[in-house]
Amino acid sequence: WWNSPSLQLVEIVEGCRLPVLRKNQENEDEWPLAEILSVRDAPGRKLYYVHYVDFNKRLDEWVTPDRLDIKKLQFPKKEAKTPTKNGLPGSRPSSPDRDVVKEAMLYHFYPVYIQHLPVHYTAVGKNGLLCLCMFSLLCQNGTTRRILPSQPGRKRKNCGTDEDSQDSSDGIPSAPRMTGSLVSDRSHDDIVTRMKNIDCIELGRHRLKPWYFSPYPQELTSLPILYLCEFCLKFLKSLKCLQRHLTKCNLRHPPGNEIYRKGTISYFEIDGRKNKTYSQNLCLLAKCFLDHKTLYYDTDPFLFYVMTEYDSKGFHIVGYFSKEKESTEDYNVACILTLPPYQRRGYGKLLIEFSYELSKVEGKTGTPEKPLSDLGLLSYRSYWSQTILEILMDLKSDNGERPQITINEISEITSVKKEDVISTLQYLNLINYYKGQYILTLSEDIVEGHERAMQKRHLRIDPKCLHFTPKDWSKRGKW
Amino acid sequence: MSKLSFRARALDAAKPLPIYRNGDIPDLNDCVSINRAVPQMPTGMEKEEELEHHLQRAICAQQVFREKKESMVIPVPEAEGNINYYDRLYKGDFRQPKQLIHIQPFGLDSEQPDYDMDSEDETLLNRLNRKMELKPLQFEIMVDRLEKASANQLVTLQEAKLLLNEDDYLLKSVYDYWVRKRKNCRGPSLIPQVKQEKRDGSTNNDAYVAFRRRTEKMQTRKNRKNDEASYEKMLKLRREFSRTVTILEMIKKREKSKRELLHLTLEVVEKRYQLGDFSGDVLSEVSVPLAEKTVYPAPICLPNGNRHKTENKIKSHKSVPKHHPHNVTVKVEPHFDFVRPHKKYTRRPKLETLRPPSRPERPHTVNNADIKQYDFHSSGEEDYLLSPSSEPDEENDPDGAFVFRRRVGCSYLAPLSEQSSSSPVGLAGTNAMWQRNALTALSVPRRCVGVARRRLGRGGRLLLDRSSADLDRALRHLDPGAFCPFVAPSDAFPLNTDTHMDTCTNAHDPAPFRTHPQRSLAQLLTDIQACRWRYFQTRSLHQNQKEESGKKALQEDDRRGGGPIVTSSSRNAVLGGVQCSSSMTGCSLIVENKLVFRNTASLDTVSKTLDSASAQFAASAVVSTSNKESKSHSPAVNGILPNSGSRQTKFSSSGSSSARLSGASSKPLPAVPQSLPHGHGPLSSVSAVSPAHTHHNSARPCAPSPPALKLATIASSLDRVPKVTPASAIDSIGRDKHEPERLALNGIAETTVAMEVT
Repeated sequence: WWNSPSLQLVEIVEGCRLPVLRKNQENEDEWPLAEILSVRDAPGRKLYYVHYVDFNKRLDEWVTPDRLDIKKLQFPKKEAKTPTKNGLPGSRPSSPDRDVVKEAMLYHFYPVYIQHLPVHYTAVGKNGLLCLCMFSLLCQNGTTRRILPSQPGRKRKNCGTDEDSQDSSDGIPSAPRMTGSLVSDRSHDDIVTRMKNIDCIELGRHRLKPWYFSPYPQELTSLPILYLCEFCLKFLKSLKCLQRHLTKCNLRHPPGNEIYRKGTISYFEIDGRKNKTYSQNLCLLAKCFLDHKTLYYDTDPFLFYVMTEYDSKGFHIVGYFSKEKESTEDYNVACILTLPPYQRRGYGKLLIEFSYELSKVEGKTGTPEKPLSDLGLLSYRSYWSQTILEILMDLKSDNGERPQITINEISEITSVKKEDVISTLQYLNLINYYKGQYILTLSEDIVEGHERAMQKRHLRIDPKCLHFTPKDWSKRGKW
Repeated sequence: MSKLSFRARALDAAKPLPIYRNGDIPDLNDCVSINRAVPQMPTGMEKEEELEHHLQRAICAQQVFREKKESMVIPVPEAEGNINYYDRLYKGDFRQPKQLIHIQPFGLDSEQPDYDMDSEDETLLNRLNRKMELKPLQFEIMVDRLEKASANQLVTLQEAKLLLNEDDYLLKSVYDYWVRKRKNCRGPSLIPQVKQEKRDGSTNNDAYVAFRRRTEKMQTRKNRKNDEASYEKMLKLRREFSRTVTILEMIKKREKSKRELLHLTLEVVEKRYQLGDFSGDVLSEVSVPLAEKTVYPAPICLPNGNRHKTENKIKSHKSVPKHHPHNVTVKVEPHFDFVRPHKKYTRRPKLETLRPPSRPERPHTVNNADIKQYDFHSSGEEDYLLSPSSEPDEENDPDGAFVFRRRVGCSYLAPLSEQSSSSPVGLAGTNAMWQRNALTALSVPRRCVGVARRRLGRGGRLLLDRSSADLDRALRHLDPGAFCPFVAPSDAFPLNTDTHMDTCTNAHDPAPFRTHPQRSLAQLLTDIQACRWRYFQTRSLHQNQKEESGKKALQEDDRRGGGPIVTSSSRNAVLGGVQCSSSMTGCSLIVENKLVFRNTASLDTVSKTLDSASAQFAASAVVSTSNKESKSHSPAVNGILPNSGSRQTKFSSSGSSSARLSGASSKPLPAVPQSLPHGHGPLSSVSAVSPAHTHHNSARPCAPSPPALKLATIASSLDRVPKVTPASAIDSIGRDKHEPERLALNGIAETTVAMEVT
């Protein structure tokens, strides 16, 4: 029915919500609720950029109209101008809050109107008032009248009243904090950065589908494929340019010092101040896969540790993590990423392990910078669990007494920050209160699960292969 | 249960935790609920994302199965891998070195161009390659340079020519192509670059701007405002201090070499005294081999590396003046070259600042390098240094684009005589040449130099650009006095076309002129006399009897610190002349009047700077004459204005005491050159000669030494403050002369004119 002319005229604007067809991992059809973030005119039809509600942004995509379930269209409502909303940590400002009552009303009225076309359509308008909207229809008297549903709060740049485009506290547009490389407040999260801008990246043997926005030069964002030099990560607009570049680029490894090598795995250390071009190119690439990463400031205060895998062509980048030269909050990792082609093969854990090995050499405990992503949380939890369980299972009881260990000791051995040790123990349900004291209990399925996991974990860092002398950056002036 | 009623103690990280296996505690289930007593740790994720469907599912799966299940993995967008042309793209293999790779931190910046050719460029290249060889890399370098030079606006073709040292046709083709391509380009540059922040803060919220600089907040006292302005002021202060240090160091160096020179001179004199070498024979004998080493390592910092042309000249000059700074014996003046061929100089384009500072053409390269030594700029300030240090100069300089710049360490030779024979002016341009140029003669020595164009040089020097004309040879032998309009043409120039020009010894001998079809010499002279064509003659100024005013002038001079520099010529050094002008206040500065010739035949010239004594002499002459009679002169007489020929006669001053200065007047003119010995004699032949020694020893106590002037100029140009150096004073006079109307408006009529336009 949805080809009926009257329905074609329904204006689906930014902010509308409706179920959108997508295949799940089992290749089954699903109709999760999605929000229209952008509309684009493609030749012959319109394309809609949708965000699946309660799915990660990385799954956002451009869809054709036939994937939209237009029957269940919900019109956007202006975000409530309540100050509490901005203050809420972690709130996604561009996701409209739904007033349950009004939403219910919409659902209720919608089918009725559909049946009585031409109709006046009620939608929740800009200031929470009910607006009378009329679909763009050819009326019987031949005149076209149309009242558009009010624009959503999404285009915040045009919307002077929108408080989200500015810092909540004093109204002065604020830059992100100057330390660290992740942003947790999303005050700069506008429609531009909410949408992926690069369609595809070609890097060495791999094609990558970016997950998030990355500030590559704007003129390159319209390309079907963005080409990167596999070794220096320079971005190029065409294969021809890449070819030409490769005649001039003689790098076959990241332009830093190799501080670890075992087998084919190597780590290179790159100073964000000394090797700006590479650091920036690396950050641009990483931003494609890290939602909360900010590239607002330069790379000077960071070190980049790039993990590579060697083959006859050179040292291929697998993943990396960045690290502040001086962290005030015990961060030993700022951003961490395994490139998608290498994901779910143990490289992520290897990166994490390496970061803690560095902390061990430094004699410090460390923790990754927050916020963690979903994949980051899973990886870290997994690493922490395995690391701690490894210690606990290896503890031998001396002189017949029950083995025991303090949280501080675990932290010291592993360089995992105390809080992370506790949270892991909690998460694994190991910590219990028994007879007036806290005890650690290792259940059988925990032990079994751990043993199974460790069997699969063949990629390990060998501390003997690490050649790393930490520098005291505080004595070096500015980074 | 009573167990739940008590509060669990806080978890103590320092307290040992016993480890139990599940089987160890049969009643463990009783205490599970206590777990809540341990404060729940945050996951570290964004609240909202924590609730995302796939994560929750994965966490659940992990907790249930203790292991990841394939279907419970968080889905991510996937792209097909395996680029089948990979091996063709990344050619060659790379062997893993045995040692860990260690990279030199700054060895990474290769000279390779950032621009990468695309297929469109390839088409152009293929087209161009039909005509000439152009390699892709060469093309990329060209585009790269063009791109990097075009920060705000595209470089012009002219700038591109300077930027790229390429064949004209090639350059034009690539340039045109580049301009077209850049206009069609959607990005700000053909080399895609991450958008940069703008200082005004307008890009603070631009999502495409990345890698902003962290503005360092200076940590000062807590109760003080750490505003950026004061920080920048401090930076500026430091910069200026370091510049002062540089200047002082350079002065120290100069003074040291001066002292050394003095000691050496003293030593030589003593030795000569011991030897009894009063005639200078021994010295000259000794100096000969020394002088023959033509590459003289510039012992004294002569700004213009003089090179001496003929051997015998070297003997006389090198030996004597060098070691006798205070020798007052009147000697036969050795002549040596002081011809500075006017360097072709086009206005330096702005983009040149982007070039590496080591370019030899840059006039102040050396000085910049010196300065840098002491100047520790933070990384962002380099552009400041690279900015052309002579820019403010150009603003003040009437010469504009034609300002003369000396190259450090360069010797200037007179052009070869063969070159002058080929006329630079095409036949078509001949008439234009006649219009722009005037027949020019010098008063000291009396000599006609042929056709030349006058203009003002730096410091008020008069520059004569000689044009080569067919008449040259004939003209050169003319007696300047012959141009006096009062001499009847027929009497003065019985033009005999048959006489060979080489035999002409005086102006009354007719100079034949056959080669020029349009204009005969006779006609020319007639024209001049009839004021139809311009004739220009430099004039020397003469000593005046009025001592008082001279003293005054001197005092003025001293106070101003701007010592007069007078250039004169002597003996058979053909070119030269003293030109004086007085500034508005009546105090006079004698302006170095240097005659610079282009395309001259090999004329040996001598340029000398007078010491204070002779300057005083000259100054007094100027002042007195100007006081006396300059009212009769229109400011327009300045000699720069060409069309004043007819006006001149109106202003002819019959009663001026100094006939020589009443240049415009018609009556006394015939006497001008001849009268030199009587009024001007002491100045030109005695005072003008002896200071020559001092000049070459750069031991002039009063006159600012060229290095000093230069130093001052550099300093002032670096600081970009109005100059107060002697050089600028001279400059301003030069400017004043250029604006006679303004002078007249200011009611200052006391402008002494040293040049005449007849």
